[in-house]
Amino acid sequence: MTKYLRGNYELKATVEESAEGAQDATEAFERKALSRLGGSICFVSKKGFLWKGDGADGSGTKDRQQA
Amino acid sequence: MDLGRRIASKLNEATFERIAPVALANAERNRSRIDRSILELADRPFGDGEAAIVIAAGPSLHRRRSLERLRDGGFRGAVVAVDGALGACLRAGVVPHLVVTADPHAERIVRWFGDPTLTAPPTDDYFRRQEMDPAHARDEMGANRDLVALVDRHGPRLIVAIATSASPAVVGRCETAGMQLFWWNPMFDDYDQPESVSRRLHRDNGLPCLNGGGNVGTAAWVMTHALLGKRRIGLLGMDFSYPPGTPLTGTQYYPELREMLGDRFAEGYISLPNPFLGETWFTDPAYYWFRDVFLEMAQEADCETVNCTEGGILHGDRVPMVALDEFLAKVARA
Repeated sequence: MTKYLRGNYELKATVEESAEGAQDATEAFERKALSRLGGSICFVSKKGFLWKGDGADGSGTKDRQQA
Repeated sequence: MDLGRRIASKLNEATFERIAPVALANAERNRSRIDRSILELADRPFGDGEAAIVIAAGPSLHRRRSLERLRDGGFRGAVVAVDGALGACLRAGVVPHLVVTADPHAERIVRWFGDPTLTAPPTDDYFRRQEMDPAHARDEMGANRDLVALVDRHGPRLIVAIATSASPAVVGRCETAGMQLFWWNPMFDDYDQPESVSRRLHRDNGLPCLNGGGNVGTAAWVMTHALLGKRRIGLLGMDFSYPPGTPLTGTQYYPELREMLGDRFAEGYISLPNPFLGETWFTDPAYYWFRDVFLEMAQEADCETVNCTEGGILHGDRVPMVALDEFLAKVARA
């Protein structure tokens, strides 16, 4: 906004960026960061450790049988 | 929630989006070279008994002289190392029973095995800047030359659990050095979903899918208990963070954080206490996510895991911090 408000005058009203605008900026900021950060391999929650295919349960968890 | 933690909480989906395309492309390119499955390793003896050491490449490995102490400690269990720790292991006289590699990066990962094609320092300053192996930071070309020779010498004795996502350069290097390769698929998503990438990949190449927990260190730990069946595991070099005093320029994601966050880049870091040392360490969003994931996975694991890193931020109910010497003495008595 400030780049449009240059001159030798003063505004009577105070112009502020909306909270929504700031929120959008933060989200865009985070989206940009997320596109470059992260791991080298995925993580899948609650799916055991090793999937050998249908009929063979994932192994290694406390409540699963070794396949 | 601060910026670093907020970013960390979203890295699961972000990792899939960033990694899956290149990992799947590598799996396709590696298709004709895929031979043996890691499932064949389940029946092989790796060290004596049920104990294992999993070696990641965090800065404590050097700070605490962990490898020299492991070598001198007479440990007889299985030794599983990540690719990034291979050079440090061999230099210290520790030859791992199993080396794990997964990262699909086209140029960087092959350097952990010594890259014979490297003739000049690359424009990518990763190896001069990274905190994992100081040898590369001191003399990049010399360290690479020495590593090529070391890996060539030990290659035929090395067994590598290699993900189908690995770059063809890594596959070629391992084959040339005479290593024995055993393959696995990274688990990308919920295999119970009909359109699952993991399911499609498994159907295509028949290999098991391993839940890697975000990074190769966690993948190595998963392999050690869920595949090799080890029940008492000590972790080394699993810092997921940086010691106090580390310059921010020497952290893994510094260029990315600087580029993305500009002047606010320091807000991306998170400070956490290390009760073992009584120090405050700091981490970045990706490492923080690795830590959270590891602690979640440890709740489900059918093994006892102790963190003998003597540094870092990985500790919880199921992952106590224990001195390396104490762990070695305990497993020697068992």
